[in-house]
Amino acid sequence: MNKPTRETPRSFRSARPYLLLLPAFLCLAAFTYWPMLQVLLASLTDKKRVGDIGAFAGAENYVRIFQDAHFLGALANNVLYAAGTVMPSVLFGFLFALALRETTNLSAVLRSILFFPTLVPLVGAAAIFIFVFMPDIGLLDYYLAKLGISATNWLGNPDLALVSLMALTTWKNAGYYMLFFLAGLQAVPQDAEEAAKIEGANWLQRLYFVIIPMLGPTFAFVLVIALISAVSQIDHVIVMTDGGPNNSTNLLLYYIYQQAHEFYDLGKATAATVVTLIALLTLSFLSLRTVERKVHYET
Amino acid sequence: MFIRSAVGALCAGLIASSAVAAERIEFMFPAPVQGKLSREMQKLVKEFNSSQDGVEVVGVFTGSYDDTKVKSQAAAEAGKPPAVVLMSANFATELAMNDLIVPMKELAGGTDLDGLMQEFWPAVRPNAYFNGDVYSIPFQNSTPILYYNKEHFAEAGITKAPETWAEWVDAAKKLTKPEGERWGIMMPSNYDYNGWLVQALTMANGGQFYNTVYPGEIFYDHASTQGALKFWRDFAHQHKAMPTGVTNSKQVSTSFFSGKASMIVLSTGALTFVRDNAKFDYDVAFMPRNIRNSVPIGGASLVSFKGTTDAQKKGAWEFISWLTSPEKIGHWSRFTGYFAPRQTAYDLPEMKKFTAEHPDALRAVEQLAYAGPWIATYNTVAVRKAVEDEMQALLSDPELTFREAATRAQKNADAVLAPYAEQTALTLK
Repeated sequence: MNKPTRETPRSFRSARPYLLLLPAFLCLAAFTYWPMLQVLLASLTDKKRVGDIGAFAGAENYVRIFQDAHFLGALANNVLYAAGTVMPSVLFGFLFALALRETTNLSAVLRSILFFPTLVPLVGAAAIFIFVFMPDIGLLDYYLAKLGISATNWLGNPDLALVSLMALTTWKNAGYYMLFFLAGLQAVPQDAEEAAKIEGANWLQRLYFVIIPMLGPTFAFVLVIALISAVSQIDHVIVMTDGGPNNSTNLLLYYIYQQAHEFYDLGKATAATVVTLIALLTLSFLSLRTVERKVHYET
Repeated sequence: MFIRSAVGALCAGLIASSAVAAERIEFMFPAPVQGKLSREMQKLVKEFNSSQDGVEVVGVFTGSYDDTKVKSQAAAEAGKPPAVVLMSANFATELAMNDLIVPMKELAGGTDLDGLMQEFWPAVRPNAYFNGDVYSIPFQNSTPILYYNKEHFAEAGITKAPETWAEWVDAAKKLTKPEGERWGIMMPSNYDYNGWLVQALTMANGGQFYNTVYPGEIFYDHASTQGALKFWRDFAHQHKAMPTGVTNSKQVSTSFFSGKASMIVLSTGALTFVRDNAKFDYDVAFMPRNIRNSVPIGGASLVSFKGTTDAQKKGAWEFISWLTSPEKIGHWSRFTGYFAPRQTAYDLPEMKKFTAEHPDALRAVEQLAYAGPWIATYNTVAVRKAVEDEMQALLSDPELTFREAATRAQKNADAVLAPYAEQTALTLK
């Protein structure tokens, strides 16, 4: 009877979400999945440069990078760098948001000031910080000298260079993460907090039992974007240190860049890219899972 | 329908305009010393474009020497090979080896290139040749040179610039004031500069540094290089006359200008920059010697990437000839402080007048008599980095011995050179 006419809209209805996703998927496929696949395929060959044909080499490139002290060093540096930038910048972002939660004239000004570093491109910030970090005559040492601390070679000492880059990254990102936490805090229901207040919970208890759990999704999201930025943002390495002194600030992406463009070793570069991607995907997945499991979703 | 006709009209317009317009070629250039240089270069490009109608050069500023290599290669890989690139003089070898740039004879028509090269200083010639062909035309060249603050010298009772390593150490110690108040000597140890200065010290120590004939060999664990590594690290750790850790060229020049460093080693390409910024009486001197006076050349040469059209090649040669003419190359030398690689530039009256007014500019030219080619091997940057990493480690870590550092530098460089050596010198079974 009416069967065919009822069938068509239903199948259309079930296909509709996919149709709506199609444009985004096509873009992702063309500019993300397809290049990723190409990188994966290239990592199995002995290509030296883009455009080489390259013979099949199996897992050789992967064996080579895990025997390469510079790759292992870059991996270790990146783990340190991620830990040393994600934790402080997320923590500062959260604390700034807490402190500036109430909207007043002063907090509006302070929010803008704290957000300001986000507006400076990393490459520009790095160029400025070369002079801030300059031993003896730089801004930092100028003020430290007033406290009686003598000249420090911030970027030229292998033990300090990575820490200096971490400080720059934290300065740059904390204000950005503050923005997410401010938005998250707006969504924390007043009644939950008031209920806790009536129950006699003090400020710390309210923070720990009410606010932080309710900000779970925000924490999960901010952690993931901070992690991704710790791997994907290396402008300051290029501008300030070139990975030096003696590779102490060589991060994974810089290692990949050097292998691909300076050392004519596309095999190593693509293998390192694949390893980095897998690590990043796994970490993002795990952090979203574990943080979100504790999340209180408002429905 | 409308879109299609619009696209059609646009295409027709493009074809029509390209038929009458000048041949467009891309010119990539670095400016490793100062931003001022890139503006002057754009001015020269404009001057060339308005001097004729056949070719339109588009100047693209590409950052440092290493960045320029990366960017021009990336452009070539993307199918847009730049017709003219001002390339670090020592990279021409590996670019030619990798078949990325063309020999100049493909551009120059019937020009006698060997005859032309005779007009250039002997020291800059080896880096221009590969396999008997000219692959690059030198444009701006330099050598490392010692800049010193004459007022500090007078105050410390030193009457002349140091000529030997012993005198150099002695002067550095006398000029140093404790607690980092003033350093006797500073030298840039960031990547690129670092390798160049290790080579300079090695050559002054009697060494060859690398095999200038065969690009598959490097001599990092030879006595001459070991001595150079030791000499440099001793300034920091033994004589305490130089800050420890890595110091980049910006720090070095800033310290010199602010009177925090009495002697510095920088490129002769920084001469104008120093002249403009030093508010005190300074002078320049040859790099001091241990075994002999010798320095590597530095600077950049013009190369042309493979894959351009014949018309672009013709335009590229026209531009290269114009830019390296004695007049223009001399003008650039006076503007920057680089020495003009073309000897005939110094016969021109403007140049004679300039060197009479600024005798320090002549010092760089005089040092050329003792100059040799710059490290150029298979995979130069990776080979160079092997010794730079160790030099940086030596400057940072007082416990590391120079022998250990030299051995490791050699091992890492050999690993980089191995694939080439296997295919060439080691093919006999």
